[in-house]
Amino acid sequence: MKKNLIKSLAILFTLSLVLAGCSGNGSNKASGSSSGGAAAQEITYASTADAAGLSPIDTNDQPSTNVIAQVYETLFTLNPKTMEPEPLLAESYENPDPNTWVIKLKKGIKFHDGTDFNAEAVKYTFEQIKDPNRAAPRASLLAPIDSIDVQDEHTVVIKTKEPYGPMLAALAHSNASIVSPTADKKGDINKNPVGTGPFKFVEWVPGDHVTLTRNDDYWKKPAKLKKVTFKVVPEASTAISMLQTGEVQFIDAIQSDLLSRVKSLKNVNLKISEGTRVSYLGFNMDKAPFNELPFRQAVAYGVDQEAYVKQLNGLGEYNESIIGPKVFGYNEKAKEAGYPYNPEKAKQIVKEHGYSSTPITILVGNTGNYMKMAEIVQSQLSEIGLKVKIESMEWGSFLDAARTGNFEMTFLGWANSTGDGSELLYPNLHSNNIGSSNNVRYNNPEFDKLVDESRSTVDQEVRKQKLNEANLMVIKDAPMIVMDHGMVSVAYDKSISGLTVDPTGLWYLYNVSRK
Amino acid sequence: MVQFIIRRFAQMVLLLIGISFIVFMSMHLAPGDPATIIGGPTATKSDIEAIRADLGLNKPVLVQYIDYMNGLIHGDLGYSYRTGQSVTEAITTRFPITIKLAVASMIVAIVIGITAGIISARKPNSMLDFASTTFSLVGVSIPNFWLGTMLILLFSVNLQWLPIGGLNSPFYTTEGFKELILPAITLGTSTAAIIARMTRSSMLEVAQADYIRTARAKGVKQRKVVWVHSLRNALIPVLTVAGINFGGLLGGTIITEQVFAINGIGRLMIEGIASRDFPMVQGTVLLVAGIFVFINLIVDLLYAAVDPRISYD
Repeated sequence: MKKNLIKSLAILFTLSLVLAGCSGNGSNKASGSSSGGAAAQEITYASTADAAGLSPIDTNDQPSTNVIAQVYETLFTLNPKTMEPEPLLAESYENPDPNTWVIKLKKGIKFHDGTDFNAEAVKYTFEQIKDPNRAAPRASLLAPIDSIDVQDEHTVVIKTKEPYGPMLAALAHSNASIVSPTADKKGDINKNPVGTGPFKFVEWVPGDHVTLTRNDDYWKKPAKLKKVTFKVVPEASTAISMLQTGEVQFIDAIQSDLLSRVKSLKNVNLKISEGTRVSYLGFNMDKAPFNELPFRQAVAYGVDQEAYVKQLNGLGEYNESIIGPKVFGYNEKAKEAGYPYNPEKAKQIVKEHGYSSTPITILVGNTGNYMKMAEIVQSQLSEIGLKVKIESMEWGSFLDAARTGNFEMTFLGWANSTGDGSELLYPNLHSNNIGSSNNVRYNNPEFDKLVDESRSTVDQEVRKQKLNEANLMVIKDAPMIVMDHGMVSVAYDKSISGLTVDPTGLWYLYNVSRK
Repeated sequence: MVQFIIRRFAQMVLLLIGISFIVFMSMHLAPGDPATIIGGPTATKSDIEAIRADLGLNKPVLVQYIDYMNGLIHGDLGYSYRTGQSVTEAITTRFPITIKLAVASMIVAIVIGITAGIISARKPNSMLDFASTTFSLVGVSIPNFWLGTMLILLFSVNLQWLPIGGLNSPFYTTEGFKELILPAITLGTSTAAIIARMTRSSMLEVAQADYIRTARAKGVKQRKVVWVHSLRNALIPVLTVAGINFGGLLGGTIITEQVFAINGIGRLMIEGIASRDFPMVQGTVLLVAGIFVFINLIVDLLYAAVDPRISYD
């Protein structure tokens, strides 16, 4: 009895070791979906978080958008090179007057449930987004729209209260994707999405994966990929390991500290290109001394963004313009319109105004690169004689503090997912949005007027000019100082071709294939 | 015995009600608004107000708690703020995955822990003892996060023996068994170390006992002394530690699940906390708390089974 027990314990112990060893004998290359499969037109993408939902109306987070962009389509789409809106589900548009958009739709397009894509579907979708009972998180996108009318089967007329310049950029946003009204009325498109896109929904195992399959009845030539899986892998270094072993074929938004590891992988291509995201150091304009221009100038002169950007290993670049190079409204002149690094000047201002006696706290959300920014800025500001403390906060609590103005200085970012400068300056700096997205609580009627004008004309040249003026004004006024303009990055298995990424970080798998 | 169980169950219910109140209040009173997180940075004030109204967050907290408890009594844990999924459904699909991981880790922990503990105790201060206690110290000290990543790099990336992501296949299939190995070792190592130390000290303590001396005096063989007289008596504290740790394993899988992309309760909880998904956090915390209390009860009952001197009558 006792002999048996000791024996079996010993056997179990060795067995567990041996089994771990044995399983390596030979054939199994960790997981079947690896690059070995000859041209299996399948791809698995590692997502750091699960989708919140699969309805463009009801979600507003990146993992959801990644799926939505393959299943649904918008009336317009941004050309990734020029960032100008181009028709997608729309055929053409015209403005009989600045408050009216007559949009002709493409014919013969069907939703995945077999129903027709038509003007009714557009009207239904947009009215759902605007419906307060639906509580769509991006309702603000279409807030300027007053009415949506069906002129005929393939013509929709959108009227605004005032002229709305960024209309096409708003309609190109993935949250303005057109959904099947039948599917939405019948069921929950947040769980069973039905769009017109090149891929159809198959299944969603919450927390684990979403699977899509090719839409063989797509209105253009069907996609080359047959199956797409969005696998949730929360840990970035695990995702890279899986990319290396071929368990996944594609990752994006690579962290700067993991970049060198990705670069070293032989089976992987890495693509980095200019993006629309901007990160900034913001001041609370309701509090002294942050509401004093000399203080902000001292900080602006005292921060050396190049030192920070160097740490991003190529995943960010710096120029002084708040509207970045890939955003509508950018003008080369704005690049150097701010306060270049000049510690001597900064020290002088600090001394003159006696700022060195005031202790300052920088509030930092514990996500992304914000902590890195904070540490670098803290040491640089100490150099110019300021007393700076860092307070870090969990992201959810941080957002609350930032919104309610419960901070002195902080770091924030803006994805610029519409790629339009008005949609950057208005939410972040217009006085209408103090208490919500204008975290720095900037209130400048002159600036407001320029932004309003950029929004309320449909003449794109005039818009560019107004945006440039507003941009220059706010760069000089410095309620926020740019830390970097982000780059978008993807890493993918070498068997993949045709993958392109928008400057907004969004990608489409329509043209992707494997060899 | 029956009375003891009934009394413990009654205590358990009271305890869980107390926990539900504390968790509910701490989630609602802590900074961070689920509507702000759902709306994202682009949401305007009116967008956020609409979301708050939609979630019922504009009602007084106490009313919300009473609504919640009312649902709970009827077996309804509510719906996730973030995904709209039923919390009960989320828990029932994810919990089996965590149980699978915790049980596998417990097996790893017990097999390695008790073996190492016995080896140590048989010849204290020998090389084997030294090796085993070193293992224990290292095992307790290594963070799961690091161990998991290292195991992935060694066994999955370099040797390509084992897969990395998820527990997707049933454990009795080859694929499923292989998926389980690395996460189970990662999660089980620190518990194995604790059990090894406990077994060692408990065995050494028992070895001093009178009845062991008597057994030896009677000329009982060493092997019998170890396995019958010492081990069984030494197992009582080990059992307590193992039991409590099993509860800990069930609730403490967060990091292992994160590293190995396993879709279990731990991740459900951490994602819920990050997005202020109150119903999800309440549901998962209640579940883990319930399990803790329940396992403690089982351990108490097991005492009686292992040690005839203990009785609850």
